[in-house]
Amino acid sequence: MRFWDLVSLISENLRRRKGRVFLTAVGVVIGTAAVVLLVSLATGLQKSATSNLWGITDLSRIDVYPNYGEGMYMEAVPMGGGGGGGTTSNVKLLTPTVLDEIAAIPGVKFVIPRDYMYGQGMIQFGKFETWAGLMGVKTDNLENLGYELDRGSMELRKGTIVAGSWVVQNFYVPNLRPGQEMPELPDILDQRVKLKLTKWTTDGQEVSRTVELKVVGVLREMRNEADGSFFVSMEELEAWNTWFNNGQRINRNKNGYNDVIVRAESPEVVMDVTQQINDMGYMAYSPQSTVEGINSFFVILQVVFGGIGAIALLVAAIGIANTMTMAILERTREIGLMKAVGATNRDVLTIFLGEAAGIGFLGGLGGALLGWVGGYALNVVSMQFLASQAQQQGYMSTGLTADTPLWLLLFAILFATLVGFLSGLYPALRAATLEPVTALKYE
Amino acid sequence: MSEQPVIQIRNLRKTFTMGKQKVHALAGVDLDIAPGSLTVIMGPSGSGKSTLLYLLGGLDRPTSGTIQVNGRYLDQMDENDLGLFRRKSVGFIFQSFNLIPSMTAMQNVIFPMRFTGVSNKERQKQAARMLSQVGLAKRALHRPTELSGGQQQRVAVARALVNNPPIILADEPTGNLDTTSGFGIMKLLSKLNLEGRTVIVVTHDMRMCQFASNIIYLLDGLTVSEAEYEAASHFEIPEEEPEEV
Repeated sequence: MRFWDLVSLISENLRRRKGRVFLTAVGVVIGTAAVVLLVSLATGLQKSATSNLWGITDLSRIDVYPNYGEGMYMEAVPMGGGGGGGTTSNVKLLTPTVLDEIAAIPGVKFVIPRDYMYGQGMIQFGKFETWAGLMGVKTDNLENLGYELDRGSMELRKGTIVAGSWVVQNFYVPNLRPGQEMPELPDILDQRVKLKLTKWTTDGQEVSRTVELKVVGVLREMRNEADGSFFVSMEELEAWNTWFNNGQRINRNKNGYNDVIVRAESPEVVMDVTQQINDMGYMAYSPQSTVEGINSFFVILQVVFGGIGAIALLVAAIGIANTMTMAILERTREIGLMKAVGATNRDVLTIFLGEAAGIGFLGGLGGALLGWVGGYALNVVSMQFLASQAQQQGYMSTGLTADTPLWLLLFAILFATLVGFLSGLYPALRAATLEPVTALKYE
Repeated sequence: MSEQPVIQIRNLRKTFTMGKQKVHALAGVDLDIAPGSLTVIMGPSGSGKSTLLYLLGGLDRPTSGTIQVNGRYLDQMDENDLGLFRRKSVGFIFQSFNLIPSMTAMQNVIFPMRFTGVSNKERQKQAARMLSQVGLAKRALHRPTELSGGQQQRVAVARALVNNPPIILADEPTGNLDTTSGFGIMKLLSKLNLEGRTVIVVTHDMRMCQFASNIIYLLDGLTVSEAEYEAASHFEIPEEEPEEV
């Protein structure tokens, strides 16, 4: 039997019983639409969840911390500061030697320690000032950390400072008179600012020190920790920290670093490098593992949602099997005739399987369309709802609730066809193996 | 007949199991049918004549014995080969026509060709030729319900002929028809026979015998002579006395 003869025969047979085919296909439409809609919902939730993830813009990044092991709870290990300690065997510190070892791992591009300022500081610019969330990084270019520049440059030298995207908005004028408007901050790029460090002596005396710095760059908003910090070179920060520590310099060989950023050559090797650093005994954490964790959660959600939809599709499958069984009873004589005029068992099998798959296909087509339209409608409604909610509560909504990828539609149609095909197996086999003589005499 | 028979049947048996009872529809039939003959198989209902016809056409399988058609043993063919055999070698005509009601006369005649891979154009041409051969060229686009019984049977004859089989098998072709249309079908079958096809007709319509080159009498699953058949059909049932309760 030629393929086109088969197709035309199947479509004729389906058209002969439009009403019943339609009703049966409606079941498939509902099932398929449920699968499409629910999986779209899960996909949409995943998209909005990952787009809202705090600070996951750089998938090549690994955060490495020292491992204080069990000892952390048993003995007081000084954080940063001066003190000794950290000699217990299960305490793993990030000393420069260790950093060299990490840098030697294949796939590692940069190993950049960071540190905070151990004291208080204000950054003053004209009459404006802001608290200085200062971070020292041991690199001459912030680009190595994966940061993105808004304007200026990211190069760090002695006497230069780079501002995060939010901190430039945090400048304020202290001692404003009531009713006085906050003046607008002029662009601080390429301007000199004053960093005022303050500490107290043991007898309660306030000691200050002022350093002049040039703002060479402002970072782009990356929705991560960099947005709220100023960046200076590590040498500079260590000098100030030594001043805070009353002249005692931190011995990195003894105390290690508390926070090290490792950047891999590509996101693909991140998980592997993270594993190797963890195996060395340090606490390595990559945003990618979070993303993967979240993604795997949503894959489970998709499967669960899809499964719920699949129950509807299962019911529809039973409907197809039922319709086909009925059709075969009704058309028993026709099957006998088909055999008498020379149709082989295989021809009969193919025709009836084709009809069942055809119902599945039609239902899948309708269901994919309905699911897609339904998802769209859901988005319109939820957008309006979320927008009104957002207005009342004063935040911006990013809500996209359903997201229907093309592959899902194609998969749904294919899957519905397969469901039809499988439901047709039993009836079609029965039809194919009918005794022609019995079939011809069937009343 | 000196010619090699087109159909050779040896010790053919067919047993049906009805509940716990075994019914011997055919109880050892031997039969030779010459090519180009018109064979009429006569017999009362239950004599096994339809069973014999279906076995000849490869629609059913014997319990034992051999059926040889054109040198090929049907009893040894698998389902697929039997399908191909029915497609190429035989054309069936049934008592109840077995037309597909949703299809026009033309579509019904085309139906067997849809399994053969003949081109669409060729199908139309062939079906039109067959319909005009049975005298229904003008009714090609009518559905079976719009045709008389005789016309429906003519469509069925055209359908049986459309793949150009050498053998035509007819199961009580006049059984559902009035005498005039029945006679028309008989003449049509005779015409096909004169054109060179082997025609085998199962019937108990005695008029068919006047066209036959060969008549086979079947009684209780066995071939019998005309005399035996006559004797059996004139067997008188003694009147039964009403039983006293």
